[in-house]
Amino acid sequence: MEGFSQAPAGTVLALDNVPLQLPLARAATRALAAFVDYLIVGVLVLIWSVACAAAAFSLRDSFGLWFLPVYLLGLFAMEYGYFAAWELSTRGRTLGKMLIGLQVVAADGAQPALSALLVRNLVRSIDIFVGVPLMVLDPLSRRLGDRLGGTVVVAMPREADEVMLERMPSGWGGREIALLEALLMRAEELRPARRSELSERMLNWIDRVDPGFINDEVRSRDALTTLRRATGFARA
Amino acid sequence: MDYARFARLRGPIWESFARDLAEAKARPKALDYEALENLAFHYRQVLHDHALAVTRYPGTAAAKRLARLALAGTNGLVRAPTPPNRGLRHFFVRRFPEAFRAQAKHLIAVVALFAVGAAFGFRLGAVQPGAGISILGPESIEGLEQGRLWTESLVSVIPPSVSASTIARNNMSVALMGWAGGALAGLGSVYVVALNGVLLGAVFGVTSRYAMAGLLLEFVVAHGPLEIGLILVTAAAGLRLGQTLVVASDGPRREGVTSAAVQALAVLGGCLPWFVLLGIVEATVSPAPTLPFVVKATLGVSLLGAFLALAWGRPEV
Repeated sequence: MEGFSQAPAGTVLALDNVPLQLPLARAATRALAAFVDYLIVGVLVLIWSVACAAAAFSLRDSFGLWFLPVYLLGLFAMEYGYFAAWELSTRGRTLGKMLIGLQVVAADGAQPALSALLVRNLVRSIDIFVGVPLMVLDPLSRRLGDRLGGTVVVAMPREADEVMLERMPSGWGGREIALLEALLMRAEELRPARRSELSERMLNWIDRVDPGFINDEVRSRDALTTLRRATGFARA
Repeated sequence: MDYARFARLRGPIWESFARDLAEAKARPKALDYEALENLAFHYRQVLHDHALAVTRYPGTAAAKRLARLALAGTNGLVRAPTPPNRGLRHFFVRRFPEAFRAQAKHLIAVVALFAVGAAFGFRLGAVQPGAGISILGPESIEGLEQGRLWTESLVSVIPPSVSASTIARNNMSVALMGWAGGALAGLGSVYVVALNGVLLGAVFGVTSRYAMAGLLLEFVVAHGPLEIGLILVTAAAGLRLGQTLVVASDGPRREGVTSAAVQALAVLGGCLPWFVLLGIVEATVSPAPTLPFVVKATLGVSLLGAFLALAWGRPEV
């Protein structure tokens, strides 16, 4: 356990004590998701405000100033209700979180209890002011609501970032494989000259460590095509 | 096992798990016992493969994929239990009282500072006519000269439900300022406490000049003790946080600040519901002319007593 205590923040023990690193969402990403959500809440509030103003104007003699508490109650219900309803029905995701790829999970990565989702949204009004500083200071990027509800927010990894290779040069370890995968995955984003240069260098390297890996059948004039054919590159 | 073989041999299990998990999430009620057992078995295999991939093939596609599947599996198949002793009850019975007791010394210091500020303010308000105008404004002073307290207008023109929420929000703002002022090495908390002490004292000093301090006391006696108590308690939490920022202790400063910040948060969280109650009392009971002074005073003292008793809690021996 001594080794585990030195694990980076967000490392939890899953079944059979397998360490699991939670991909914690940081303050900026969470603020972006919240911005999207508050845009939607803003539209709802605008509609509610217009409706209340119209009702207050036409029924002012009957209800007088009692419209104000009703209006304020509606505002709270709209803000709290939007976040709580989405998170309860999707188990930790709002529209903003879905768009950015975030999800609320329990502190151990499990599905949060319903009560935790309700509690974490109760103090959202306070978190508008203190949430970001708290997230920046906390290694787990938790706002006040997360602390009270015992939750964290993770950035769910996307499938599109994964690539599977069928063949590998013999004797290669994780670092070399990750390097090759990164090159094949991101080749299209590179300038053509840089792409060719890096592919050539990778090809030469493979020829040195495993001369039989690239045979004549897969060899092409374009180094990147050769690498793709030789490794059986396919996007997930 | 080399990487390609590992991915080739285990890949079908990962794909099957991803497929079954998505199916289970989409239609949880359609899951029979055998399918659930199969899913749990594959989840365990995915976790073990994840541990292997992180150790031997870090940064590879397989490691990334397994990390994603392990997280999705943990989130999809494990539900966080709600511990019976946790939650709100645990917070108000254990955590809040612990945090409150930990700041007892700071609370005493804050009370002393408030008392000194109030005495100074009373003297100032009683002997300096200009102080009354600058603190209460000329309209309120004019009202006092005509035998009216400015507090009448606070609650008579708007419904109690609105004024209660406004008052509660206002009180919370003051308390939040005192609490958050701890981040300025405690200076913000000291400022809020001293200022509130001086203002309260000055207001009583001014009203005593017009022989209306009794009326003001009647207005504030129901909510005042708790209101001042809450502001002082939250400011004490801020002061304690400020002290850990400035004064070195045996442990690392970062740990000390983190611990004090967590306890300060607990104190603030424990006080928040009382602010709501306070707002209701201030908007409904305090301005009620039919309620005798004794009833209001009893309520005020009882509220403060109840808060302090619950906040102090039952220390574990």
